[in-house]
Amino acid sequence: MEHTEHLEHTEAPADMKKQIWRTFWILFALTIVDIALYFILSPSLPKNILFIVLGIVKAYFIVGIFMHMKFEKKFLSSMIVLPMLFICFFIWLALTEADYTYWLRWLFGK
Amino acid sequence: MSNTVTVETSKKSLWGGGRSPFSISYGKLMMWIFLLSDAFTFSSLLISYGFVRYSFPKSPPNEIVQPFTHVEENFVEQMQQQGLFSSEHWPLPELVFNHFPFIHGLNLPLMFVSLMTFILIFSSVTMVLAVEAGHRMAKKEVAFYMLLTIFGGAAFLGCQAWEWAQFITAGASLEGNPFGPTAFAALFFIVTGFHGSHVFSGVILNIVIYLNVLKGTYDKRGHYEMVEKVGLYWHFVDLVWVFVFTFYYLV
Repeated sequence: MEHTEHLEHTEAPADMKKQIWRTFWILFALTIVDIALYFILSPSLPKNILFIVLGIVKAYFIVGIFMHMKFEKKFLSSMIVLPMLFICFFIWLALTEADYTYWLRWLFGK
Repeated sequence: MSNTVTVETSKKSLWGGGRSPFSISYGKLMMWIFLLSDAFTFSSLLISYGFVRYSFPKSPPNEIVQPFTHVEENFVEQMQQQGLFSSEHWPLPELVFNHFPFIHGLNLPLMFVSLMTFILIFSSVTMVLAVEAGHRMAKKEVAFYMLLTIFGGAAFLGCQAWEWAQFITAGASLEGNPFGPTAFAALFFIVTGFHGSHVFSGVILNIVIYLNVLKGTYDKRGHYEMVEKVGLYWHFVDLVWVFVFTFYYLV
């Protein structure tokens, strides 16, 4: 007996292979830029923010092209991406408290 | 009569049942939900790292050790004497991660982790090429790219084992750390270990899928969706590494 299933899925674009390699070179270049910036710029807050922005750009390409999210339904992609906003809140919360802990360390030592 | 009309409209409507409102299969949707929950787990680990790190003073700038210069055997002790490694402040990643396999005694800051990053990105590419071949039902190509992905994952795990060994021989553990605060080593082991265990299970899953491809399981089934599902997981592992790389080695 023939055993086949019908599957629902969103179609991949016709030039998928080209897009995959283009994404690879973008990720490759961004990583090189990361390492170059590490040695060119001296440690500072803007530099760290730049690294995080580059990380998010890389994440966009991995999730969008490699994980096919760019071609999925809007509803699905927002369902997965929007909960990540809670993480932003969590980061803000943690860093605010960490600043307080920094001054406690400064005051009481270690 | 009116009854028939209702049935027909409900079939057409997106949430009326009988079809996936997301236009993806149940299995893939559940993989996405799992990845979302896993993203929260990794985020909380990385945020804990951020918390501890931010609560420690920054390292003084490194003006002594230049890249591509000779490194003495007692490098860690030297750095401790210079005040660059101290439990009072967070260490600079360029001084901690400066080893490379087979190149002993040379200061190669961040070179090895960059190599690890490239390995993982490349294995992600071979994975997505396997998925693409699966859409065309090209069995041989899927098998070939799956095999490359397995090699990439194994290479990454080997690199990580080597780096852990470097770290442990230097005296770092969950309870002590020659480079800086104890939490630095503890968080390093826990976060890279948790990520490494994900890579490990990813490699195991890839091997299972690879064997099934060879057996012709998906050919018989009529689609290679299983490759896509495992592919999602594999890309996620790569995605997490992007952030581990950013926060541990760059920031």
